Amino acid sequence: MSLLAPVDLPPVFALLPDAAVTKYLSRGIQSGLELPPQVALTRACVAYDARTAVRRQTAPVRELLDEAMGRFPDDRAAADGWLAPRLHATLRMTRAEAADSRLWNHVAMIVAPDYVVWRHKGADSADGRGIATAARFSGLHYTQTFSRLWWAAELFRDGEDYGPVVTACRVQDVLNTTMRLDVIDHRPTAQAMIRVIGGFLDAGIPRPGDHVNAFSAAVNAAGSTLMYDVLAEDVDPDADELLEWIEAGAGEVADWDRLPEGPSDGRVRTAAVDALLPLFEKLRAEAPLRQRPSAGVDEEGDVPVPAPRTSGVVLTKPSDFV
Amino acid sequence: MKSVYPYPILFGDVDLDVLSITVDGTSPLPYSHVSKPERTVALHQSGRENWEYCTLRLRATLPEPEIAAGEWTDLVCLAALTEKATNARTTARLKRSADGAWSGSIDLHRSRHLNRATLGLTVVATCDGVEGRAIGTTAQDWYVDLKGATPVRQREIEIVEADFREGPEAWLRPYKDSLWIIETTGEVPRVYLNTGSVDGFVDMLGGNGGTTAEKLLRDMTSGQIAQDAWTAMFHTAISDLDVDEDGTPVMPTGWRESVLRMMLPDVLPGRQLTDALYDIEERRTKGFGWAELQTTVQYAAGKRSQITKKLTNAVRSVDAAERSATR
Repeated sequence: MSLLAPVDLPPVFALLPDAAVTKYLSRGIQSGLELPPQVALTRACVAYDARTAVRRQTAPVRELLDEAMGRFPDDRAAADGWLAPRLHATLRMTRAEAADSRLWNHVAMIVAPDYVVWRHKGADSADGRGIATAARFSGLHYTQTFSRLWWAAELFRDGEDYGPVVTACRVQDVLNTTMRLDVIDHRPTAQAMIRVIGGFLDAGIPRPGDHVNAFSAAVNAAGSTLMYDVLAEDVDPDADELLEWIEAGAGEVADWDRLPEGPSDGRVRTAAVDALLPLFEKLRAEAPLRQRPSAGVDEEGDVPVPAPRTSGVVLTKPSDFV
Repeated sequence: MKSVYPYPILFGDVDLDVLSITVDGTSPLPYSHVSKPERTVALHQSGRENWEYCTLRLRATLPEPEIAAGEWTDLVCLAALTEKATNARTTARLKRSADGAWSGSIDLHRSRHLNRATLGLTVVATCDGVEGRAIGTTAQDWYVDLKGATPVRQREIEIVEADFREGPEAWLRPYKDSLWIIETTGEVPRVYLNTGSVDGFVDMLGGNGGTTAEKLLRDMTSGQIAQDAWTAMFHTAISDLDVDEDGTPVMPTGWRESVLRMMLPDVLPGRQLTDALYDIEERRTKGFGWAELQTTVQYAAGKRSQITKKLTNAVRSVDAAERSATR
């Protein structure tokens, strides 16, 4: 399948409002039959501060995406693990910048609509051609094609080590389910979870996706009464190191074969991860597969415990799950 | 909903206070940017665009007698600064001082936050031999606003005046003939008032006082705008419900939640909130009973914008004005 790739890329990224995506996104674009109207979209964009333009070049990202499509022609889901760390190391920015959905809209609609379609297009069926859902073009941080990869790298990296990110991307359910949970905002929890998940993936367990979902639900439910922050103390990441890494990244190209290095803003303490591992292993062993997450996963194993922490954690898989 | 815990938790109040804030390690933030009753801190200051981090000095009071009598051990008082949009989570342990209060400080790094950070406090203890149990939290979290100049807890609808026809915002141009439009896609719903429409329309809306007729017109128009806004916000809030694993819709967050909580009791009267949400989601996706719902949505929006009251007042005063004119 050859997809239409945009010509005349803008040299730097910009911010494209959600409203513009809604206005111009059509089924033709979602199925890859036509390209988004570049001129109209570009007109709707808001430019970044010109002083930061050096580190917002579109060309290195575009190159990466082309390489990803070339490398994984038959197994597009496998591209995630390759792309996530490299995208994160190429598109260097702070979390505050990455939380702006307008940047991701720009990547999806103007820089690489063909990648969105390539990666997330559903199968053609009797009802018509398969499409990539709108949420893959403009959506929440764990759904949008590019932001989900960037955030996966940000949330699962261990300081400069992108190794855990690669593990996280081995099962789609980690990105689709685990990444939605608030508990992984605590770095040692995220690392310990990836260790456990990596462990059972290596063991070649059947139905790995179901295990990831059950395990994530169990950790999340237990986290409503247990403060992982206290069980495993984390050190604050070094904000200055991160900013330096971002500055140093201008013009740098990520290696295609070797894993790049992330910002050395401090690794998670080994002791912290070790403190959580026994508990998490236990939760995993007891987590019931394909059952309601709130039942029977607390340590006492009998009382469903409502979460006192902020609401909004959901464990559903997106319907456009690929 | 009241939560139930399988272990003893604190009954008394846990209280958290922000004592002071310093920016970039040295400059203190004027205390007028902190509102204790609103539990909100406004970090965006006039005249200081560039800053990297700020330090919040915190003080917490716990129900000490209860703790002394209870069976909890290894008490930890943990402050957490979080923001959903950036998945940020910073924590700090507070230390117990001589007077029994707990104090400490927490850093907020600007690079890790976007709009509004939430500051909460959790009391953690070993309980029945289990380490790290959360036994109490503050009843109300603090908000740290990075984009607000004055500390206000309840974010209101933003009102933007713009020239639809010739203004800089090109996307408004197709609406050049309308007096106002409502936009509900963002973090905060916005009402755009068209300064390029009827002469004096925006001045009339923004003014106060004037003749009876002017007041009437202002009341009616603002009521009308409010009605439109409530209807649009309601539809936006229910249009994008996330569903739980077993298909139960989940209450959205932010303004969408407030809108639903306020309007659902009028839209589907006599129904539990979760049931009402379920019902709405079903009607929306299956199309059954959707048309019937419109009447109640319109009623609820009207009730919130107090349009009936305004209309009654308007009719009465027009009536009075007419009578005095003919007399």
